[in-house]
Amino acid sequence: MTKTDDLLASLGRFSEPALHILISLADGPKHGYAITQDIETLTGQKPGPGTLYGAIARLEARKWIEALPVEERRRPYRLTASGQKVLRYRLDSMRVIARIGRARLAEG
Amino acid sequence: MTAQQLLRLYPRAWRERYGEEFAAMVGPESLQLQQVIDIVSGAIDAWLSADVRGATSAAANGTGGATMLKSLAICSRNHTRDTKRDGLIGGAVMIVATALFALLGIALKRSGHDEAAEAVVANSYLVAMNISMPFWLMKGQPWKAQAAVIGGTTAILIAIAAINFG
Repeated sequence: MTKTDDLLASLGRFSEPALHILISLADGPKHGYAITQDIETLTGQKPGPGTLYGAIARLEARKWIEALPVEERRRPYRLTASGQKVLRYRLDSMRVIARIGRARLAEG
Repeated sequence: MTAQQLLRLYPRAWRERYGEEFAAMVGPESLQLQQVIDIVSGAIDAWLSADVRGATSAAANGTGGATMLKSLAICSRNHTRDTKRDGLIGGAVMIVATALFALLGIALKRSGHDEAAEAVVANSYLVAMNISMPFWLMKGQPWKAQAAVIGGTTAILIAIAAINFG
């Protein structure tokens, strides 16, 4: 596990919603409502507003996402270069874990 | 209950930063119980988390005495209303209250009330934190917001302790 990946894990109970937000923003900027809808499509579960903005605040504090100018009361967010790096590390790590898990299932 | 009403539970700086988009996202309609719990939890997190309060130190997510002192320093530095003096008073109240609850736990243990002692000691820091909040973290907030956050979290702690140790 890399140092960058550990940083995402350091978000504690917000690490999973934060990961979903990073994935949601990977294909372009979105505002809170669009992020929520995207995560629901992705995972089947809609994050609560308190959880969503708790994660957004943490991602902003770490400069992994950044806010864009407000559009009709809604503020879009976009992934930063360091956010892309963190997301890439985490996805690589998940791919390795998934491969090992599948291999062990095949053995059993 | 609507999101607009629950937004009052959040710190002013948080409301100024996220309040409008948060309200736009949730909408004006009445909330489901699950949403209310999520938003109240988010408010408590917004008050207590150094991250959400704009701090950059990831170390504030841990536990223990050193982190507690770091959190006190971060909170007193970043809070929009309280002063360094408020931070010191709040920190002192928290430390003294924690010590008193710990002593109460020891007294209960010695008198043979093991489960009650365990419940008191396990919750001593969290309850002490709640008691200290009016002196710094929630200083200047409307009394209803203070009552909701402090009373609500204390009630939850008591309920959990009653279930676990009752």
